[in-house]
Amino acid sequence: MYADYAYLIVGLPVLAFILTIFFGWHLPRGGGFLTVLATFIGFIISAGIFLETFPEKVVHQSMHWFATLNVGILIDPLALVMLLMVTFVCTLIHTYALGYMNGDPGMARYFAEAGLFTAAMLGLVYSDNLLQLFIFWELVGLCSYLLIGFWYRKPSAASAAKKAFLTTRVGDVMFLAGIILLYNNMAKLGLPEGTYLLQFPVIYENLTKIDPTQLTLVSLLLLGGAAGKSGQFPLDIWLPDAMEGPTTVSAMIHAATMVTAGVYLVARMFPLFYAAPYGLLAVAYVGGFTALYAATMGLAAFDIKRVLAFSTVSQLGYMMLALGVGSVVGAAAVGVSMFHLIGHSFFKALLFLCAGSVIHAVATNDLREMGAVGRYMRWTAGTMAIGGLALAGFPGTTGFFSKDEILVTAWEYGAVTHDYLPYIFGIVGALLTAFYTFRMWFLTFTGEPRSDYHKHESPWIMVGPLVILALFALFFGMPAQEGFYETVGNNFAHYGVDFEELAPIGGHVVEHGGEHGEEAAVHEPFIIKILPILVGVGGILLALLFYSPWRKLDIRKFVGEKDLLRTILVKRYYQHEIFTAWFAETVVYGISLIANIFDIRIVDGVLNKISETTLGFANSIRRAQTGVIQNYITALVFGIVVLVIVIKLAMEVGL
Amino acid sequence: MDLGHYAPLGAEALLTAVSLLVVLVGLFTKGRSSLPGYLSLAALIVAMWMVLTAQTGTVFFYDSLRVDGFSQFFKAVFILVSLLVVIASLTRYNGRPGGDEYFALLLMATVGMMVVASAIDLVSLFIGFELASLSTYAMAGFDRTKKNLEAAMKYFLYGAASSAFMLFGFSMLYGMTGSTRIADIAGASLAAFNPAILIALIFVVVGFAFKMALVPFHMWAPDTYEGAPALVSALLAAGSKKMGFAAAFRVILIALLALKLEWYMAFAILAAVTMTIGNLVACWQNNVRRILAYSSIAQAGYISIAFVVLGVASEGMTGPNNLPLDQYALAGGLLLVLGHAIMKTGAFISTAQVASIAKNTEDPDDISNYAGLGRRAPITAFCMTIFMFALAGIPPTAGYFGKFVVFGSAIYGGLVWLAVLAILNSALSLYYYLRIISYMYLREPAGPKISESKGYVLSLLLALIATFWIGVLPDGFFNWAMQAAAALLP
Repeated sequence: MYADYAYLIVGLPVLAFILTIFFGWHLPRGGGFLTVLATFIGFIISAGIFLETFPEKVVHQSMHWFATLNVGILIDPLALVMLLMVTFVCTLIHTYALGYMNGDPGMARYFAEAGLFTAAMLGLVYSDNLLQLFIFWELVGLCSYLLIGFWYRKPSAASAAKKAFLTTRVGDVMFLAGIILLYNNMAKLGLPEGTYLLQFPVIYENLTKIDPTQLTLVSLLLLGGAAGKSGQFPLDIWLPDAMEGPTTVSAMIHAATMVTAGVYLVARMFPLFYAAPYGLLAVAYVGGFTALYAATMGLAAFDIKRVLAFSTVSQLGYMMLALGVGSVVGAAAVGVSMFHLIGHSFFKALLFLCAGSVIHAVATNDLREMGAVGRYMRWTAGTMAIGGLALAGFPGTTGFFSKDEILVTAWEYGAVTHDYLPYIFGIVGALLTAFYTFRMWFLTFTGEPRSDYHKHESPWIMVGPLVILALFALFFGMPAQEGFYETVGNNFAHYGVDFEELAPIGGHVVEHGGEHGEEAAVHEPFIIKILPILVGVGGILLALLFYSPWRKLDIRKFVGEKDLLRTILVKRYYQHEIFTAWFAETVVYGISLIANIFDIRIVDGVLNKISETTLGFANSIRRAQTGVIQNYITALVFGIVVLVIVIKLAMEVGL
Repeated sequence: MDLGHYAPLGAEALLTAVSLLVVLVGLFTKGRSSLPGYLSLAALIVAMWMVLTAQTGTVFFYDSLRVDGFSQFFKAVFILVSLLVVIASLTRYNGRPGGDEYFALLLMATVGMMVVASAIDLVSLFIGFELASLSTYAMAGFDRTKKNLEAAMKYFLYGAASSAFMLFGFSMLYGMTGSTRIADIAGASLAAFNPAILIALIFVVVGFAFKMALVPFHMWAPDTYEGAPALVSALLAAGSKKMGFAAAFRVILIALLALKLEWYMAFAILAAVTMTIGNLVACWQNNVRRILAYSSIAQAGYISIAFVVLGVASEGMTGPNNLPLDQYALAGGLLLVLGHAIMKTGAFISTAQVASIAKNTEDPDDISNYAGLGRRAPITAFCMTIFMFALAGIPPTAGYFGKFVVFGSAIYGGLVWLAVLAILNSALSLYYYLRIISYMYLREPAGPKISESKGYVLSLLLALIATFWIGVLPDGFFNWAMQAAAALLP
């Protein structure tokens, strides 16, 4: 019964968007409550669908669009967990924004764009075909652009928005190319009339018939798209800059929902990646490397939001890694990755909202100007500590279970393929994660005030969502994990995807059949089992030693201001210098200059000549239209003469 | 007499009756009543329903009218245009002196067009043609301004010439075949009548080319569309011009099919010249209604591509998905007709809205009056923008899909040069469409914000919805056009 109203999940936020953009100015708080309400009803419908379908059923509604394309709604466990998460987290963030954005002159615009974003994100999640997914994918990209540049009068915000848009565009072009390539391959199969070629079930069904080389190409292109959206190396440069938007935007779009779309895409197309030789290998390496690489940059950042941004990039890397190492455990990897995704969205949204709460009070992003904030903002400090523990993977918290599972799976991957690199990336990254998270927490909340800021707690409308999210960050993992792995891991069984049949195509070793059989096959040593706990707790302790009020060691003794390593990290591996200053502004700009000269002198020159001639010609024709009827008759006679000649010629010689 | 047999012609009968009723109402209320407008509106809605649900495949009045998929497609287009014009006219003409005549003429013109769509006999076709033409001559000068009268005069002179050409061509066809029925003419061996058939062919083509406003027989169109009342221009450009296509499809594609090797090159040249000249000259206009007139000339060129493809299509040639090429091309032409009718009506109604608030009263349609329209009249400006994009063929609008099918059919028919030329023309046309948009949004407003007239806004929004509907969900419309094309083709 709830499934019949599935379209409302997207429909209501769209309605909220229309209402707030037109009438928001006249409503209290920019009509934000409309967006909150629309999202919340979406959550209720999603929850209703969950109760109805769990654990066996899949909702699939499809409508013919044109030619071999359709529009449709596909709610399987994979989509459902995303729907629940997005509606839930977005409801809380919109609620929080009612307080956070209060008084901003653009409040109505904010809630309109946030509503549109919510609609697009939910549409992306339950699309039943790749093209529709791509359309929503572009739409969330647009909303992200609009919301990063929300304070568009600020030059840094405007340029960050542009950077985000252009960088993700690189990925989107690859994604689109991948879709087209896949479509062409599907079209060649000669499927029966009326089959929708880009529909997910159809793709899953026909994977075995497609040439594996093509599959690899498609999977790499799709990975390119996913890397753009999810900020994976080397397309990660836009995400830290995207923090120029309001903090609620960072929490919603650049932590909990939109950036996970890339991971979701890979999860959604997991059978394809699995069947493609090297597909998952690429995913594992991109993900693993990003997980470590971004974590190192988090060590040296002083902007509270940027620390979180680096950690987001890093955690998205873990999710990718989890999918990538799925080559040894099959579809169970999807369950693990998605569990990390869902858990991450809770505690990362929480961390961002806490950061927002701090910024709201302190009015600065800079950790060096904070200190002792915990004395005045107890709720914020407490909830942020919980978020930090979850992020660090402290035993018992939500983040612990998924990260632990990812690392163990990565080790199994190493054991089977003798390639331990992804595991090393992961385990070192985990240590750094715990360290920089608590570095940030201690610098913010403990010690002595390092500047003169407003000392007050945020209003309840902001603290409420924090508490709810903190509860989820703390307690969601334990009870949910087994059922979650089971249900989401079996997602593709609904479509009859046989991973054992796909494995030889992808060149994977199948050592064990059945669900969770892998644990019986590979016995990880005790040290591997407890290592994730050790690095998590160890990282926290290290941060305690260096940054807490009870510190025993002074960081300055170990790392000088001018140390090479530190400089590299502060400079973010010179990414800005390489990609923006050198590549974009020197190489691309230089090429542009040369192209520009070519363009002005030759292309434009020719075009100008053509357009001058065209317009001049047009002008002389125009003069024929004098309004004098005699001239018109002349034209008429001329036309008839031409027609006579043409038809006569056609009759005589045959044109 | 079995009245039920005539049920498929109910829409025509209803509109004729209501047009007479409207005149009567006007007579008794001295033209002060607002009844005529609402009566016409109701009649058109009912007629639309009757047309869409009519049973097809029946022949009436001794083989002179046929109700088939093709005729119903065109009738739906005509009624839709009239409907939009009537809604927009409610504020402008209803309840004013002479309003009753306006609506009566409009309904008469619609009936005339509908008869043309159904006609399978040259005489009934001509009668329908004249009914529509005579009514619109009177409407073109309806406001009796100097410009109106000039427009009406030009329209009349050209219309008369066109009728003369057409009628002379028809008479020669009758002389050669001894029949006025299209089916009989198609069955006769016309080629034996060389060279008389050359003259007949030329006269028929020229007669229709006038109505379709193909270059160089287009000269009346810009002057008339500019000078006539804006809402009448909408009817002329979107409705009565399409009547020319309905007739030309029937006569040239069916009756004269045997001569296709003779006329296809003539149409190729007409199409190429028409779209190129139409777009080129439009770039130079400063009067928005003239721009729209030339754009509609260019669109007529695009639609004419369908004739060319049908001329070259031989048995067994296929388009995409193994659809018969001739049917595909004709369906594309029909989709362009449908899309253009909606977009052009909308665009002309927008100009009517602007003209009613123009600062520059010397030329109320001058492009300077559109400056800052986005802030003065946001709904009108937005709708106008969409119609401009649609006319330029930007997806996902109605304009894109029709062009896609027609240009595609040209490529499948081996007429790559024509398709390339058409695509280049589409690119060129963006120049003047974007120019209007840039005036509306990038210039300082030419005056204060105004309240937009309800009738205009309603019909603009309806046209807007239709434009998007066809563009986003083209499949149903494509199938409809394919059925209509199948009904026409042998």
